[in-house]
Amino acid sequence: MSVETTPADSPAPEFERQTMEVDIACAGFGPAMGGFLTTLTREWSEHPEDPAFESKVAPGMPLQVLCYERADDIAAGVSGVVTRAQGIRSSFPHLNPAEIPMAVEVKRERVLYLLDPIGASRRSLTLRAADAVLHTAGRLFGLKDHAFELPWTPAFLHKHGGLVLSIGQFNQWVGSQLMATGLVQIWPGTPVSAPIFSEATSKDDPAEEAVLGLRLADQGVDRTGAPAGGFMAGMDVRALLTVVGDGPVGAVGQAIDKRLGLPPGHAHREWALGMKMVIELPPIESDQDSTLEPGTVWHTFGYPEPEIFGFLYVHPERLVSVGIFVPSWMGDPLRTAYRYLQHYIQHPALWRYLKDGTLRSWGAKSLEESGKRGEPFLAGDGFARIGEGSGSTNMLTGSGVDEAWTTGTQLAEAVVELLRAGKPFTRKNLSATYEARRRASWVERGAREAENARNGFHGGPRGSSMVKGMIGMALAGLTGGRFSFQAHIPPPHKQIALRAPSFSRSLRKGWDTSSQTAEGLQLKQAVDLAIADGRPLHDALLTARGWPEIPFDGRLLVTQQDALLIGGKVQAIPGFADHVVFLNKQLCIACVEKTCIAMCSGQALTLGDGGVPAFEREKCVHCGACLWNCAQSPDGEHSNIDFRAGSGGLHSAEN
Amino acid sequence: METILVLTHADETGSALTKASLEAVTAGKELAARLNASLAIGIVAIDATAAASALASTVARLLAVSGEPFAQPRYSTDAAALEALCRAAEASIVLAPASARFARVAAGVAHRLGGFVDTHITAIGGTDGVEATRWFYRQRVEAVLSRDGRPWFLLLDAGTHAAFAGPPAPAQVEQVAVELPALRTTVTGLRAPSQGTQTIRPDAKLLFVAGAGWTKKQSDGQVHAAEAGDLILGFLRTTGASLGSSKSLVDQGGEGQPVLPFLTHLNQIGQTGATPRHARGLSTCCHGEEPHVVGWRFIADRRAINLDPNCGWTRGKADVVYIADAFQVMAKVNSLLEAKKA
Amino acid sequence: MANVLHIVVCAGIVPDPLQTLEPVTGPAGPGLKNEMVLPAVLDPWAASALYEAAALAAKNPGSKLWLVSLGPKAKLQQVMMTVAQKIAFELVPIDGPIGGFPDAHSTAAVLAETIAALPGLDKAKLLLFGGWESATRGAGVTLQLVGERLGIIDQFQGVDQIDLRDDGSFEVLERVEGGKHQVSVCAGTPAVLGWATGNLAEPRNNPQTGMANMRTIMPALQKAKPTTLAPNGLRYVSVALPKQQRTTRVVKDLTPDEIAAELVEWIGAE
Repeated sequence: MSVETTPADSPAPEFERQTMEVDIACAGFGPAMGGFLTTLTREWSEHPEDPAFESKVAPGMPLQVLCYERADDIAAGVSGVVTRAQGIRSSFPHLNPAEIPMAVEVKRERVLYLLDPIGASRRSLTLRAADAVLHTAGRLFGLKDHAFELPWTPAFLHKHGGLVLSIGQFNQWVGSQLMATGLVQIWPGTPVSAPIFSEATSKDDPAEEAVLGLRLADQGVDRTGAPAGGFMAGMDVRALLTVVGDGPVGAVGQAIDKRLGLPPGHAHREWALGMKMVIELPPIESDQDSTLEPGTVWHTFGYPEPEIFGFLYVHPERLVSVGIFVPSWMGDPLRTAYRYLQHYIQHPALWRYLKDGTLRSWGAKSLEESGKRGEPFLAGDGFARIGEGSGSTNMLTGSGVDEAWTTGTQLAEAVVELLRAGKPFTRKNLSATYEARRRASWVERGAREAENARNGFHGGPRGSSMVKGMIGMALAGLTGGRFSFQAHIPPPHKQIALRAPSFSRSLRKGWDTSSQTAEGLQLKQAVDLAIADGRPLHDALLTARGWPEIPFDGRLLVTQQDALLIGGKVQAIPGFADHVVFLNKQLCIACVEKTCIAMCSGQALTLGDGGVPAFEREKCVHCGACLWNCAQSPDGEHSNIDFRAGSGGLHSAEN
Repeated sequence: METILVLTHADETGSALTKASLEAVTAGKELAARLNASLAIGIVAIDATAAASALASTVARLLAVSGEPFAQPRYSTDAAALEALCRAAEASIVLAPASARFARVAAGVAHRLGGFVDTHITAIGGTDGVEATRWFYRQRVEAVLSRDGRPWFLLLDAGTHAAFAGPPAPAQVEQVAVELPALRTTVTGLRAPSQGTQTIRPDAKLLFVAGAGWTKKQSDGQVHAAEAGDLILGFLRTTGASLGSSKSLVDQGGEGQPVLPFLTHLNQIGQTGATPRHARGLSTCCHGEEPHVVGWRFIADRRAINLDPNCGWTRGKADVVYIADAFQVMAKVNSLLEAKKA
Repeated sequence: MANVLHIVVCAGIVPDPLQTLEPVTGPAGPGLKNEMVLPAVLDPWAASALYEAAALAAKNPGSKLWLVSLGPKAKLQQVMMTVAQKIAFELVPIDGPIGGFPDAHSTAAVLAETIAALPGLDKAKLLLFGGWESATRGAGVTLQLVGERLGIIDQFQGVDQIDLRDDGSFEVLERVEGGKHQVSVCAGTPAVLGWATGNLAEPRNNPQTGMANMRTIMPALQKAKPTTLAPNGLRYVSVALPKQQRTTRVVKDLTPDEIAAELVEWIGAE
């Protein structure tokens, strides 16, 4: 038996560990695991006497099903979503959204193209020309508040009849029902550090390797993971089936991908960081020309940068979720999220409603945008993959929660079938049941249609790639994925600076003291400001680029530090190791981009000694952005940052 | 018609009343005057003569429980004493300081008398009746409440009223007899925190709060915990200020990080810590977010030193915020203070 | 020689400390906006009591540990998922209202009645633990009231340490004014101890402890008795957030020396 650990400066020490035997061990509690456990427990509750639900590891006992979640509370999810809820509704046919706080049916959808009212946006000449036409023709095009509403949106983008949800509240609602059955246990605050692998049976076919369970993270360790006061070695939870639903940056999924590789042609190369705020709208004033009705959904593009898409979802009780997606194909090495989000909410089209609002919650999360192209082996001996980390997200429709939920339900149906048939959880049996169900479902059809839909975003100068990308999406969407652009998607580290070489050169000069260019000098000043005044680097850099300073009001426009405390309520209990580790320090020292710092959602990464970023665990929101925002790669594919299992993060349930 | 009883107790000397007790006397006099109610004052002391003399000018009815068993705070004896005083006074409203001694027993006494208790009262108001102001959720929500039931015990937070002071005079004191249960608890004394440095000084005019920034890496990339400790202790020595800390700083002990050895959980301000009363407060290396600032609710004049011009203190939570390196400023402050002393 | 103790810890649940709180007044009186939606934690001081109780029980074999908690069943369940991993205890849930605004006397009556009825509890061996104040009501009275109702007249508040001796007596350190501790020796159980922070770190999460606890916690939660709390004549005249916003002078352009001079002047002649 061996445990997969990612390479680091020192090998993980081995300790005597407690071991526990269970039937099913689950990593991560999100929508996919919610779907899995809901479906499993429902079948079980309806047939309590069915011998299929007797434990194999503890004869005479009921099936032992345990789920471990890293976050300190199962409600500490990080997403406000709009979903068609096809899969969720089929699990809950009589679903009444009023039972779930912050949930409401989708009533009205709009797609807006946002012009740049400030002039700081990195727009191409083409885009600027198009913007100028829109401006000039103004009313003719229905321009209002520097925004142009698309008169028609393709059906594939519609979520009509779906739900606006807070995933935090949805998770809590699902989790409470699961716990109330008394059949399964969900343990928050318990990071899983790695899968337990069996030794390879054959070197020629590593995919035959079995997963034997989960190893929980060590507690009572110092930052490097060495035992300290109150050391408790993480337990080995050995299981007949390990269900991996720990998301796109989860330690278990990553370790399996590393050990087994991905199916031919697949890679995790397309990512985005979703960052959002939950805002309480100000009281309605009589002179307001319109209000935001619950169930209103906006999709936006064009601002604050051409590559950044945005959204606004209206929940009940005057709460809205507003956020942006910063994609990996935005090659700018100084891309960032928090400051952009602040400019985004101040766009006149949104600010009209949000002004005088109050920040209630804030959060961020990485989205695996490779979809089908990032799909790992869905099943192996003793394990199955569900949810976003299994490549279920549909990037054409921009939908992931419902797909994730559905993959969970499919696995549960398969598990029940295998339990009833008395068959073991082998790769073959899981493929014939789970994988077969998934392949035959709408999730797979959607994934295939979406597979190449976003190719247009890759290649071409900035600005035009956005237009080409949109055309590509429309092509794929309208033809069911039959037509799309071809593209080579480079690894994430190569996407950084790919379309901004001159900028990178400026940056290098800016970083070096022998700065020559005006832009380099500006950047140098920004970096100095960040070092001397403790000002966040991304913040200083955007100011240097001409973005206006944020007029802090202490309520909605607050510093990122405040967003951590009053919005995200970010905390980390002591006793866990640092979960962000820089593998090859020399690469960090030589790195000029330092995109990891600019893109860190929680300001947990800062300029450290001698060029290696410093990591503060207490500020990490576990978004995983650092994993794919690293311009360096020790092996040409993976990043120089290891994102491991860690504890803590957001304590907000409103996300 | 209300009958008001103010409960008081002696300080460590055994004869003089505590400042908090005298503050409750002021509150009692004010309330009695407003309601046109009768006022009695109960004294718990080994010998109540001196205390009674200090209260002579209140013209209130004076009751006392005296004797060796009441020399020291203890639940069983204090509860019996307060119960006897309340019964003797037939009080409907009982005011008492929210001291450690009375906070320990007031609820139990209220229960014995079939009454009710509210604690940490910061103000007593109302037009015709009695309305009490107190804070909920760690000083984050302020409520005004009233009760129909009597007797109603109101424990007043220290510093909410001026201490009563009047010319001492011989006073007539009614000694109240107390029937004591068998004593199972012996008070053996007081103990200061083991670190030797007494840093908590409730009577100090100034509260100095150290935040986690003191033990974080400084601009040279190094942690300067020892220097931070020297600067803080030096400042406390010259100013006699009381030392508070943020939760994150006192919690660091468990994580193997450099910590300030003289800090204990007793120093913590806000969140799960204290909410002290001082005329002035100086915050250093602390971000000034809501959980920190709840402990500052009763600090009148607030200043902060922070590197971040957008820290919480700048947003209406402090009166003055200096954007500067606390290491540099405090080093200079200490040298100026020492020069001034010399 | 070990003493067999019956330790009952009273611990409520409170909003996670960093949550944004806003009071609202409904038909049932004041409450917090979205209180059921906010993540909750075990009341911090009561949590110290629980950890101390566990350590004490572990040192005294044969001892028993109950955790009595009053709150909405769904929220209790959520919080117990974290707490149950840390130490072994028997949960006694009471399905009641959330928050700090209900009357403490009513709360105490329900708690005392529940504790008195605990099967197997020997009152002569009872140590009644809890936080010295809650993070909701913050009154520091409930535990005393429960103690009185149970007829316990050795009570200690703001406790940071207990040292149990072989003869069953124990020394207690209570927080008193001036950052000091009052030291008392009590002849033995029964006694009430309202804890401050104590000296123990939060125990690590142990999945096996969690597994074992859950076998009893889930059935207990399912059987939790719904309870209402009488207002007892308590009336709220107003409940509001503090309005005070200061006019902050932000000083950005002074040197450390200039700031120091200004501060020294401000500190004055103390």
